[in-house]
Amino acid sequence: MKAYQDQLKTLEGTDTQVLGVSMDSPFANKAWAQQIGVTFPLLSDMGGDISKEYGVYNPSYKAARRVTYLIDKDGKVVEMQKDRDAIDPTEVVTSCQRRRMKG
Amino acid sequence: MRTRAIGSLLTAALLLAGAMSAMAADQASTPDPKIKVGDTAPDFTLRDQSGKEVKLSDFHGKKNVVLAFYVFAFTGG
Repeated sequence: MKAYQDQLKTLEGTDTQVLGVSMDSPFANKAWAQQIGVTFPLLSDMGGDISKEYGVYNPSYKAARRVTYLIDKDGKVVEMQKDRDAIDPTEVVTSCQRRRMKG
Repeated sequence: MRTRAIGSLLTAALLLAGAMSAMAADQASTPDPKIKVGDTAPDFTLRDQSGKEVKLSDFHGKKNVVLAFYVFAFTGG
């Protein structure tokens, strides 16, 4: 999440809202956000309903899997990155800038 | 003596096969996410770290959204 915070200004400059989601409680997310300096929303999917709906719930960890979606203004998924690839935001940032240029 | 050697070879082969199928099962337990490129992202309303409700569809027509699922707070990534 810290990597996304570092890119937040750039992403916001391309009309992009960053949302983190996990199955942690809002209290854990608050403490963590303060600790690492995250200012964008960290959403609490306690119970995992949304993680399951997206199919990113990992039953062996009883937690969400590391998956990043880029959703366009029409609500369509235009990019998806999984696991290790999902940690580095570079590709998402490039993609947002490209979409911005297309207008 | 010889039968014993064959026996232990067989045991080793069985163990290997077992380990391999366990690995395959582990991979099968993390299938591809249900929601893929081209799909409409299912709407949701969830609370953020300050207790405020955030609704995905509130951004429709206004902003792109990076929706980053992460495993646990207080871990890397």
